[in-house]
Amino acid sequence: MARKSFRRVLMKRVFNVFLTIIGIMVLNFFLIHLMPGDPISNMIPRSPKFDVSLKWELQEKFHLNDSMPEQLAWYIWNTFTLDWGTSYMANERPVFDIIISDMRWTMLLVGVSTFFTLLLGMAIGAYSAYRRGGAFDVGSTAVSLFFYGMPIFWLAILLQILFTTHPIGISWWPQLPPGGYYDTDTYGAELKWTLPVVLSMMKYLILPSLTLAVGTVAGVSLVMRSSLIDTMTDDYILTAKAKGLTDYQVLRHHALPNGLPPMIALIAMDVAFIIGGAYQVEYIFNYPGIGWRTIKSIGDLDFPILQFIVVIGGVAVVIANFLSDLVLIYIDPRIKIS
Amino acid sequence: MLSNIIDGISRQKRVIIAIGFILLLAVGLMGLTAAPAGAASMLAATPVANAGADVNITAGETIKFDGSASVASDGATIENYTWNFTIFPGTPAHEVYGVSPTYEFDVSVVGGLAVFVNLTVTDSAGLNATDQMVVVIREKPQTFFEKYWLEIFLIGIAAILLSRPVYFVSKSIITGQPIVTDASREKTRLTLQKDRKIFGELMRNPMGAIGVIILVFFAGLAIFGPTIAPYDVKVIDTSNKMQLPSPDHWMGTDSLGIDIFSELLYGARTSIIVGMVSALIASFLGAAVGLYSGYVGGWKDETVMRLNDIVLSIPWLVLMIVVAAFLGQIDLTGIILIIGLTGWSTTARMVRAQVLSIRERQYIERARSIGAGEIDIIRRHVFPNTFPLIFANTILTVAVSILSEATLSFLGLRPAGEVTWGTMLSYAQEASAFQIGLHWWILAPGLCIVVVVLGFTLLGYALDEILNPKLKHR
Repeated sequence: MARKSFRRVLMKRVFNVFLTIIGIMVLNFFLIHLMPGDPISNMIPRSPKFDVSLKWELQEKFHLNDSMPEQLAWYIWNTFTLDWGTSYMANERPVFDIIISDMRWTMLLVGVSTFFTLLLGMAIGAYSAYRRGGAFDVGSTAVSLFFYGMPIFWLAILLQILFTTHPIGISWWPQLPPGGYYDTDTYGAELKWTLPVVLSMMKYLILPSLTLAVGTVAGVSLVMRSSLIDTMTDDYILTAKAKGLTDYQVLRHHALPNGLPPMIALIAMDVAFIIGGAYQVEYIFNYPGIGWRTIKSIGDLDFPILQFIVVIGGVAVVIANFLSDLVLIYIDPRIKIS
Repeated sequence: MLSNIIDGISRQKRVIIAIGFILLLAVGLMGLTAAPAGAASMLAATPVANAGADVNITAGETIKFDGSASVASDGATIENYTWNFTIFPGTPAHEVYGVSPTYEFDVSVVGGLAVFVNLTVTDSAGLNATDQMVVVIREKPQTFFEKYWLEIFLIGIAAILLSRPVYFVSKSIITGQPIVTDASREKTRLTLQKDRKIFGELMRNPMGAIGVIILVFFAGLAIFGPTIAPYDVKVIDTSNKMQLPSPDHWMGTDSLGIDIFSELLYGARTSIIVGMVSALIASFLGAAVGLYSGYVGGWKDETVMRLNDIVLSIPWLVLMIVVAAFLGQIDLTGIILIIGLTGWSTTARMVRAQVLSIRERQYIERARSIGAGEIDIIRRHVFPNTFPLIFANTILTVAVSILSEATLSFLGLRPAGEVTWGTMLSYAQEASAFQIGLHWWILAPGLCIVVVVLGFTLLGYALDEILNPKLKHR
């Protein structure tokens, strides 16, 4: 019985995910195509000698002469057949290639920073909930709230300035590269996976990932704290204490498992926030990921890239929410019933 | 003798002669200034661009930019003219290129304070040269509605709020019943008592107290800031630009010669207005959608929630940038609408979750059984029970909206003709303020944003703790 209803819930969720993705695509399509400006006039060479027929050729090539619904149908069909077309700019590289190669960098950035965020955030949140009202709790909550309200781009600028100058003339102050993704001057623009390149990559990753982690760790630790405090005041915690368990045992075996579900749901919701933060960080540190490409494409009116790059952010959020739902159903027996 | 001649000429003629003389002088001066450029080009092997002299105009006028005074290098002809317009404060630069030396530009679409015009000429020898001119735009006299839209909006809200008491007072006057009954006196006493209790709790809560203090300070800045600001932020003085901090300019001046400290004070008002009005819009929409779809349920709820999922899933920053690009030139109202119209989905989701539990209560069933309509039940029974939650959430949304505005402005979608903390940061970053020594240009607006957001967040959390029955006893 329970199994059957679980399957039905799963089917409904999958259907919803599919529907949401289609919805994101349609909304995105109309938003982008209603944007003012003519992409073709951005593409044509800036010379009086250019041939007008080139413009018509290009319009024909990119289906820009078709009606809106026709273009929408083409767009959805092409998405699912992975025929994502070529960029208007960038030497007409295939969009799929561009997005995949940009995605590697965003994944690296977001992955590294999220790993540290979760580790640090949950540790800080758990400890301040455990010693509620103590000096550590008050201090960490104040610091968290301070960083919670900080614009990520501002933090990025400050860190960039801090590690590219010598504050008050300290000569041994560490210097970090202000932007880019690895030392292209020394190792060449073509990416080779050798040890020095990887080391240089890690060095270039420190500032962007630190910014993103500091910007998001505050949210995680605050949620962890309040979620744990919620469970710590429940009666079964009192029972566990009365049984004579140590504080650590209570926290590890009774409070944490019950405080975790809201955390997972909120981390999934946070994916959208982290992606937004990654956009700003990539923009300031000139880090060639999805966000940097999006902002560049909006400036260039590069429809083919925009059409897919915005959807990818949305799909990431939808899938994160879907996975968190599944994990919640798996770990929290109370949800299965409803 | 001269005075005799002047006396002999009628007043009208004198004016005409004076104007003619001034015109002659102007033409002569222009010839003098143009002459060295021409003389230089005869010797130079490079072309010389000439975008014309700086002009002052009133917003809404069309200017014809004329680059025909530019000269090509020896033996070559000019092939094209590229006009690059950077609007301050406004959208990113936009560029026009053409073969004709003149270009007409309608400044009414700009709405900024100044336009930096760079003319680049390229000649057939493949050489190019650039010249800059500055168009300073005086503000267009605003129409009544443009000037007072915010006041009209606020008075409208006040009128809606006041309409009920006014209705009751006039009704009791007409019917002759006493205006203040014992029942209403008791009701008021209880409401006041409750409000006082909540305020007391708020001030005893350390987070709430700090939040209130911060917000009172910044409310003062927003109200009196522009009055106490030592300089006018709409007066451009390029000869005075990038001044380091001094007793005259405490935080220095920016790239247009505007006092940074004054900009900071002006920015408080715009930033806080943007935050509050867009949060109100977002909360109103979110609450309406959440209340309705949560109460009605069924397929309507499903549809609304799917739409909500879609809006919630698209990364908010991209959504806002695309909507902003779609609107083209944006002003303060545009920014408010963008943030308000894209920010309702979280509120809607939260309100709906709350409504789902309220819907099953007995008093709702009783109201339904005596034949109350959907809208009536939502308004009279569901809404009052979700109001505390919506209220606390609105205050948290203000914090988020202020951050959104700063981020949008920073990424180049600045409200035209307005100074906010976000636009200040954006220009500071463009001018690499820290390297010049204008540290405050980057530090001060950022710190203000952080502290205001902190204030709203603290107040929001504290109110949530006090008003949300789930969190109260723990």
